[in-house]
Amino acid sequence: MALKAAGPAQATAAKPGGVGMEPVVGSLTAGKKNREYKVTNRLLEGKRPLYAICFNLIDSRFHNVFASAGCNRVTVYQCLTEGGAVAVLHAFIDEDKEEEFYTVSWAVGDNGSPLLACSGSNGVIRIVDCGKGSFLKSFIGHGDSVNELRTQTLKPCLIASASKDESVRLWNVNTGVCILIFAGAGGHRNEVLSVDFHPSDILKIASCGMDNTIKIWSLKEFWSYVEMSFTWSEIPSKFPTKYVQFPLFNALVHSNYVDCTRWLGDFILSKSVDNEIVLWEPLYKEPGITANEGKVDVLQKYPVPDCDIWFIKFSCDFHFNTLIIGNRDGKVLVWEAQTSPPTLIAKLSHSQCKSPIRQTATSYDGSTILCCCEDGCIWRWDLVS
Amino acid sequence: MAMTSSSTHFAIAAPLLSSLPAEAAPSITQEGVHVRDLENMHAKVAGTLEKLKKQVQADRQMYIKMRVESNREQLKKYTEELAKLNNSPKQLSKGQELEGLESLCLHNEQVLGNLSNTDESGDKDGKSGPDESNLDKLMPIIFGSCLPGAKTAVRPLKLPKVENVPPYTTWIYLDRNQRMTEDQSVVGRRRIYYDSDGNETLIASDSEEEDAGEEDDKEEAKHEFTKGEDSIIWMAVQELGFSPMLLEELAALVGTKHEDIEARYDILLREAEKKVDTRLQEIKVPETCNVVKSLSPEDKQTQPKDLLAAMDSFDNLFCRRCLVFDCRLHGCSQAIVHPSERQQPWSNIEDGIPLPCSKHCCLLILPSDSGRNFVQTDALAGLKVNKRKQDLLKSSQKQQDLSSSQNEDGDDLDTEHKRSRTTSGGEIAPSSYRQGVLDSTSKETVESSQKTTQDRGDRPVDVGSDKLSSKWLCLTRDKHTEGSDKVEGGFPLEADSKELILSKKNNVPAPLSMDSEEETRTNVSARGKGKVEVANNWTMLEMGLYEKGLQIFGKNSCLIAKNLLKGFKSCAEVAQYTLEQEASGDGPDGVRRCTDSLDIDAQNRARMYGGRRKGRVRKLKYTWKSVVHPLIRKRMANGKDQPCRQYTPCSCLFTCGKQCPCLLNGTCCEKYCGCSKSCKNRFRGCHCAKSQCCSRQCPCFAAGRECDPDVCRNCWVGCGDGTLGGPAVRGDSYDCRNMKVMLKQQQRVLLGRSDVAGWGAFLKNPVGKHEYLGEYTGELISHREADKRGKIYDRENSSFLFNLNDQYVLDACRKGDKLKFANHSPNPNCHAKVIMVSGDHRVGIFAKERILAGDEIFYDYRYEADRAPIWAKKQDDPNQKVQDLPTTSGRARKLPEGKPF
Repeated sequence: MALKAAGPAQATAAKPGGVGMEPVVGSLTAGKKNREYKVTNRLLEGKRPLYAICFNLIDSRFHNVFASAGCNRVTVYQCLTEGGAVAVLHAFIDEDKEEEFYTVSWAVGDNGSPLLACSGSNGVIRIVDCGKGSFLKSFIGHGDSVNELRTQTLKPCLIASASKDESVRLWNVNTGVCILIFAGAGGHRNEVLSVDFHPSDILKIASCGMDNTIKIWSLKEFWSYVEMSFTWSEIPSKFPTKYVQFPLFNALVHSNYVDCTRWLGDFILSKSVDNEIVLWEPLYKEPGITANEGKVDVLQKYPVPDCDIWFIKFSCDFHFNTLIIGNRDGKVLVWEAQTSPPTLIAKLSHSQCKSPIRQTATSYDGSTILCCCEDGCIWRWDLVS
Repeated sequence: MAMTSSSTHFAIAAPLLSSLPAEAAPSITQEGVHVRDLENMHAKVAGTLEKLKKQVQADRQMYIKMRVESNREQLKKYTEELAKLNNSPKQLSKGQELEGLESLCLHNEQVLGNLSNTDESGDKDGKSGPDESNLDKLMPIIFGSCLPGAKTAVRPLKLPKVENVPPYTTWIYLDRNQRMTEDQSVVGRRRIYYDSDGNETLIASDSEEEDAGEEDDKEEAKHEFTKGEDSIIWMAVQELGFSPMLLEELAALVGTKHEDIEARYDILLREAEKKVDTRLQEIKVPETCNVVKSLSPEDKQTQPKDLLAAMDSFDNLFCRRCLVFDCRLHGCSQAIVHPSERQQPWSNIEDGIPLPCSKHCCLLILPSDSGRNFVQTDALAGLKVNKRKQDLLKSSQKQQDLSSSQNEDGDDLDTEHKRSRTTSGGEIAPSSYRQGVLDSTSKETVESSQKTTQDRGDRPVDVGSDKLSSKWLCLTRDKHTEGSDKVEGGFPLEADSKELILSKKNNVPAPLSMDSEEETRTNVSARGKGKVEVANNWTMLEMGLYEKGLQIFGKNSCLIAKNLLKGFKSCAEVAQYTLEQEASGDGPDGVRRCTDSLDIDAQNRARMYGGRRKGRVRKLKYTWKSVVHPLIRKRMANGKDQPCRQYTPCSCLFTCGKQCPCLLNGTCCEKYCGCSKSCKNRFRGCHCAKSQCCSRQCPCFAAGRECDPDVCRNCWVGCGDGTLGGPAVRGDSYDCRNMKVMLKQQQRVLLGRSDVAGWGAFLKNPVGKHEYLGEYTGELISHREADKRGKIYDRENSSFLFNLNDQYVLDACRKGDKLKFANHSPNPNCHAKVIMVSGDHRVGIFAKERILAGDEIFYDYRYEADRAPIWAKKQDDPNQKVQDLPTTSGRARKLPEGKPF
């Protein structure tokens, strides 16, 4: 798979903020490193790259359950407390050998059972029921591969998908309808690589992609359709899917692909291929003024050395205290996300872990870190208490 | 969030500013300073600046810390709430859900408990992992580096294969073409691709693009000062005084020019003064403050001073071609083209005696004769008189005689007159379509000829023409009144007007466009004034509206008051105003003024929006020069296809000379041009009666144009039986068949998986040969833009570019309709054709043969031979081997069908 193995693309230096607008940059050396993590397990799923790994943080019964995706397979595991053991609960394999899953996300079914949504190169979103261990349904609609799926934590039956077809779609996993399509006149101009729901404001979605922009979308005018989707009983294709053509906010923070974006409260964490994660605040336009690009205030930067290839995603724990990211060389940085200046808690490396870490997963309290690698390995790190 | 951010930010910036003395900054002039002093100064300046900078940066860090902290607090509250929420359903469903994943989890824990005592017989982790070749094999369920693996296993569940839809980029439906908005441009923007084969990332940029980028940089070199920089500048000047050295240092610190710093300081100074002022005011005069406040709302409610200002948004946002606001095709702030010929004032009076429009109608208040005049002066001529047409013909013959007898006045003028007369006689029909009234009022002719004479009078032309025109004008007028007499019978006016006309005839240099009625009115006005008392308190806006009313309705005070001045002025007031205007005006009457005001309007607008228009023109010129594609020019020269030149309305007066932009550009003048219908460069439309305009015998069809009811004589679509004034439905076989793109008479197209590749467009119903299927819509982009986008599209091997004309390419990638998915075929069943529809080029897809229901639509993309992708290459077509095409860097684009069918 050649995709996502792209080499470093040189990036022009981001515009300096001017005196008095400088971001606070975290130090890689001055951190107190007061926490110690230890490798407790290593799983080899196969030789093919693993692109996604995700703890189930939306259902407290299953906070220790996680899923990984890569190749045409999605596997559900349980982290056992003793000795870093990991148990396989389910494995799902697409009959289509060509399929390559890029992303997984947890959801909750209408009967409370844990669902898993996964998608990838084919562009079809698969919903499986992990409670029963059965396949539920497929969502067809995206015109190309899906790069990321995320779940709305407040309404865990809503999932958003970011696709190569330049759109973000909002789905209801229970009724199976595609509620909204975020694309059009003000939409992304290239593949969408990442999407995230605002943690407390249910009406906001952020997305970013290969057009170097991060867009914030508002569901305000379309909320009635979301409501409608909860009770939709007819066949899903009859649903009046709406296009959301204009974002609330359009930010140019990076000068290259933006491959991961996460809300941190009302701020946004995003990363490009510039060896850093950036925390910034969108300065929303005053009503009446319509500018093309919204102004941003770049607050903090979290340096990540050797992280200059795209499709490397970071993760946070449930309370957004730690920010964990792997790099091109298989090293993991653990940052304190919400301190100023940002402090580096730990820098993890293992002599056998050399391959790019595509995504990390952080457990509910941040005590367990999982990394999925290009070489098909999952590494488990546990906090030494 | 934004609110709090700015306020907190201000809270930090405020102490810096408030610590400053309120008086103006002292400007210390340093004369005769020693070198050592200078050095000391330098050090001092540098030191102070460094100190200030540190302070500002520390403030910034404090600010960020505070923001992050407050954000953390909020988020914490929320996540804790959410954690509680997540816990609650667990309690509820624990009882029932045990057999699901939960039980599996519990089971694992137990298994682990049992296993911990067994010996190390299991596989070591890593080795036990299955690879992709034997995925179906059982998987060990427990991995552990320090624990033995388990014998129990999980069998993977297979997900049934689901085929996705063919790939596509998300697109928006467009029912008509749109011009690209600026922010959609890819020109001058970096775009990074990844090459999935070569495993590398490429940045799309070529020399041209970089140039554009540099230009942009130069243009936006203006530095935006942050609050921190502002406070450094302010504090430094306060502390050290205003000196060139300080400016230089500041400029170096901020990274801009010292002029900018100076300018910025001035702004800060003014702001500070303003702040002090307002504070003083608040302290000193709180009472007056209230007064000011109470007044201010009224001030804010200022009415636009005159009509021109009030019409600003209309003039700038309304598209006169599409008759919509915010036209996405022709854009805002179009150059306004004023037609040389105006429609005659509209009148609603069809029968003899007008009824009063309201209790304030001039008919009731003014003396009966004159009152009626206000309503009827124009209606008089507009009465439906069928005989009048004949009269007119007679009169024009007479005129001809007359004018020929006056040949000594100048030959060229005479011929011009002749033409205007003949056209006015012959080309009355078109505009009537819109009005729904087919009777060509003779008045129109009179009006138009009047106007021509008037305008000619404005120009420096010899007096002879005036004489001549006034003479024949009177003559027609004479005829008219006679004509109306015949039909209507005794009109109280009749005697007067005849007399007046006679008098006019006698003293030739009388004001040429003075109507007989007006003169009566001026006589009457003396009487009228006594009865109605109208204070002359007309605002500029009302006067402006009145002028417009004159243009639209003529001197019909009822209609003007009712439609334009409702709530402002009554009918009687309008009539009174008219009288006053005429009495005071030394010569020019209403009609004359209304044409004048047109010119003044145009002049004013030109003055007002001069800058804007200038910008437009410059831009157009730019695209003109640089964008015309060499290949297109080639096609033009070959002369096979219709000359696809973008049409822009000209604003020539009356007839287009050699400098007419349309003529220079090689397009015909259209109905949107300023020139009159008699312009030689106008496309005259067709006169086809029975041919349905679907063969080359129809001039419209032959020219690659759709018929236009405004231009063609017999092409229109009727509905109803004609009782409502509109044209009746004609027999089916008589309807013009060359208006289908305009009328959107298209076939239902279905989207589906193609038999060939990817998506395909299919027909729902069977169609016959030559049938119009639908339009290929998209974004209108420049050729330059198309080249840039084409590079990206070709890389993905899916291009929706379509060459439209010399200025534009259609891009249906993100905006279009279903026909964008119609596939290419060397032996297609359809063809694409660029057609001129109401001044715009549009792409229609037509059936080449009979097509059955459910058949897929194919047409030949006609990619240029050297650019075509492999799948569109022709194997052995001699025609396609024209190798004299210039090898440009252009991309593959669809071309319209060249040969007509």
